[in-house]
Amino acid sequence: MSIDYELDRFIKPLRSKDSQTPDVTFQPRAYQSVQRGINLIANVIRPTLGPLPRVVAIDPVMRGNAGPEILDDGGVIARRIVALPDQDADTGAMFLRQVLWRQHERAGDGTATTAVLFQSIYNQGIHYIVSGGNPMQMRSHLEEGLRVILDELESQAVPLKGQEKIAQFAETLCHDAPLATMLGEIFDIVGEHGQLEIREAHGRELEREYIGGAYFEGGLLSRLMFADPMKSRAELEDAVVLISDLAIQEPDQLVAIFQAVIEANIKSLMVIANEISEKALSFLLVASRDPAQFRAIAVKAPTDIGGQAALLQDLAVLTGGRAVLSAVGDTLNGVKLEDLGRARKVWANIEHFGVVAGKGSPRALRAHIAQLRAAFNKARDSQARQKIRERIGQLTGGSAVLWVGGISAVDIKARTEMAERTAEALRGAITKGVLPGGGAALLACRSKLQKMADQAEEPDERTPYRILSRALEEPTRTILHNAGYRPSEYMGKINQARPGFGFDVRSGKIVDMAEAGVIDSAGVLSHAVHAAVSSAALALTIDVLVHKKRPEMSLEP
Amino acid sequence: MARDLDGSQLQDMVYALAASPNFAVDGVCFAARQSGLHRSDDGGRTWRPLFDVLRLDALLSATSVALSPSFESDGAVFVGVPGGLLRSMDGGKNWSTALLPPPPPFISALAVSPNYANDGIVFAGTMEDGVFRSGDRGAHWEAWNFGLLDLNVLCLSISPDLAHDETLYAGTDSGVFRSTNGGRAWRETGFPTEAGPVLSLAVSPMFARDGVLFAGTESYGLFYSEDRGQSWQRVARRNIPRAVNAILLSPRFPQKPGILALTHNALLVSRDGGRSWSKRGTRAELKAGTTSVAAPSGFGQRSRLLVGLADGRVLRI
Repeated sequence: MSIDYELDRFIKPLRSKDSQTPDVTFQPRAYQSVQRGINLIANVIRPTLGPLPRVVAIDPVMRGNAGPEILDDGGVIARRIVALPDQDADTGAMFLRQVLWRQHERAGDGTATTAVLFQSIYNQGIHYIVSGGNPMQMRSHLEEGLRVILDELESQAVPLKGQEKIAQFAETLCHDAPLATMLGEIFDIVGEHGQLEIREAHGRELEREYIGGAYFEGGLLSRLMFADPMKSRAELEDAVVLISDLAIQEPDQLVAIFQAVIEANIKSLMVIANEISEKALSFLLVASRDPAQFRAIAVKAPTDIGGQAALLQDLAVLTGGRAVLSAVGDTLNGVKLEDLGRARKVWANIEHFGVVAGKGSPRALRAHIAQLRAAFNKARDSQARQKIRERIGQLTGGSAVLWVGGISAVDIKARTEMAERTAEALRGAITKGVLPGGGAALLACRSKLQKMADQAEEPDERTPYRILSRALEEPTRTILHNAGYRPSEYMGKINQARPGFGFDVRSGKIVDMAEAGVIDSAGVLSHAVHAAVSSAALALTIDVLVHKKRPEMSLEP
Repeated sequence: MARDLDGSQLQDMVYALAASPNFAVDGVCFAARQSGLHRSDDGGRTWRPLFDVLRLDALLSATSVALSPSFESDGAVFVGVPGGLLRSMDGGKNWSTALLPPPPPFISALAVSPNYANDGIVFAGTMEDGVFRSGDRGAHWEAWNFGLLDLNVLCLSISPDLAHDETLYAGTDSGVFRSTNGGRAWRETGFPTEAGPVLSLAVSPMFARDGVLFAGTESYGLFYSEDRGQSWQRVARRNIPRAVNAILLSPRFPQKPGILALTHNALLVSRDGGRSWSKRGTRAELKAGTTSVAAPSGFGQRSRLLVGLADGRVLRI
């Protein structure tokens, strides 16, 4: 349970009054208060946008001798602001906070962009609505404009391919050249869905290892199955694989399978099960007493709460076998030789087991992966996406491990976290491509919106497009301001430059942003725009605020 | 008809042919046969076995063969044999075993980098273990199968501009895969999986500019792509209805758009990029079944083609 949730439970109820009647706030106070809350959150996060950001100092949750937290991640900053004293303003603040946290969870980045876009759209929109504009029409046309912006961004996106380009982009995210180079190499090999494990190293260096085939958590069930105890690893070639989540208690349960394997002149068997009793393990060990004739190993089925069956099905597709699942009433009684998977090599150590060159149907494997990719694109929950991505990575032929070193334990931890964030952002960029950065891609979307505004007949249609067009300048203006430049001085020059050109605050010049290596992930930016526009459009239709009463609670036991 | 070491007759087959880059002058070519690797020094008229020097107890089949682009200076020959790979650095006089990770793979295809003199890169496609890559002239090999969802590799073809575009293709049971990082990772192309297996591939000599490649299938004839494999169309349906065992493109393709397609019993040549086709060789000559082809002197009317047959002979057509 996060500390924020714990605080929520205590702080909010203490504001309750005795009366059970809910507090209701009508216009115009509702607009004013919500706007206050939104502006507060946005203004806290605004300084963190751009390559030369400022930081935010936040009081620690537990006061004491600890100093303030110094943060530059918009999503985390938003999360730290738990509630405002004014409950009306708090509604606006919490609304935006929720939007930013979802952006952080889903895309890993782009929260500051979301915040400044949202703020601009809302402030302009409120101004129009209190002047008599129709909020529902406003919302409808904002969403139409959103579709145009997203299409325009998609048309501008270029693929992020090749080790060098990936490394270059990684460096803009992590500002760590060796780490960026390593990540560039890794993602060039394993791909956007590839399995990458990032671990803290003990030394100073960065190291990487590539592991062919698929591997899963769940190691050997008996150390006696190591052929070479010094290596702590067992390997079998041209093996058949019994894939199950069963608890195998009696040796008799394995006899029929064992006989079928021997009669087929197969010399290697891997048994995957949730549990195997000592008696059944002994049976396998005795059967393997002459490894030149026959060898069997037993490994624990991969443990994944709610997902074990899916992982076993993946193994079945990879090896051309059938998953024998207790959930559907399967037992070992009906298992035949053709139900066993096959692989050129299987291996196992104490913690993991792996399959190299599974002999399942390649067409079935490709179709299965295509289904998983479709499910990945549809999944809204970041945890669900993570699980699906891991499954795709396991099926696509290999994985990588990156050990991150540093000069101290604190440095290693921070560098590892940075590596994880950068890896996440790289995946999005490789999948959806990259765009000219520094706000240039958003500026290039304005001309279409301007045309739509010019063609509109009614103010209720024209104004939303103009609002969006103005809002798309906000990220550039904010980046300029944060870097110490006056936006009013430079926006004119930027507007005259060609599409894709922008102001590089590091060099102080107007450049082709993509060529200068100033690029943004298309996936992150599209998510940010979508979150900002659709949420601001919804927020503009908030007309009444109702605050429910909660029973008074005390901190006394 | 070949003979086994005990003198008994052996049903021979030519699996692959490879000719010296300087064939017009030295007439050197190699045939990978069921009976072993053979070399000719007279343009394919006569052949001599090369594995005798190994003093084996049984015949050792050669399943694939490839030569270095600078063969005349380095003499590098790579040969796939059951369970492994042999290499020679003196044109086949002496051999060493290349170390491949177990289990012993079956080498179905070999391809040498066009920039081999500098990069020392060689690729080996295998029947069940995907693609192996060597970066030290074939001494050591590693499997690089990230993204290669089908490990039954039947053919390989490398971009002539590998040094810059790092691109090569693998034809497999279920289609065509592409690598753009020198063989360290693979991605699916747009080749229709239902049209596999893919028995042969050919990349245009001007691939860096035109993005053209051809794929020959087992049952669906010839396919063509002009966008580096993203999309494919079937061509020459009438002339090439089924298996295409080998494809060669003329050295000056597409300016001189010559294509040579070897079906199971015919050798078809097109001089207009595949719009029209004519046969080379007679039905009688090729009735034993064609398995491999080399065009070391180009596609001209007077140029000799070497055609390997299923009965172990090599024809000069």
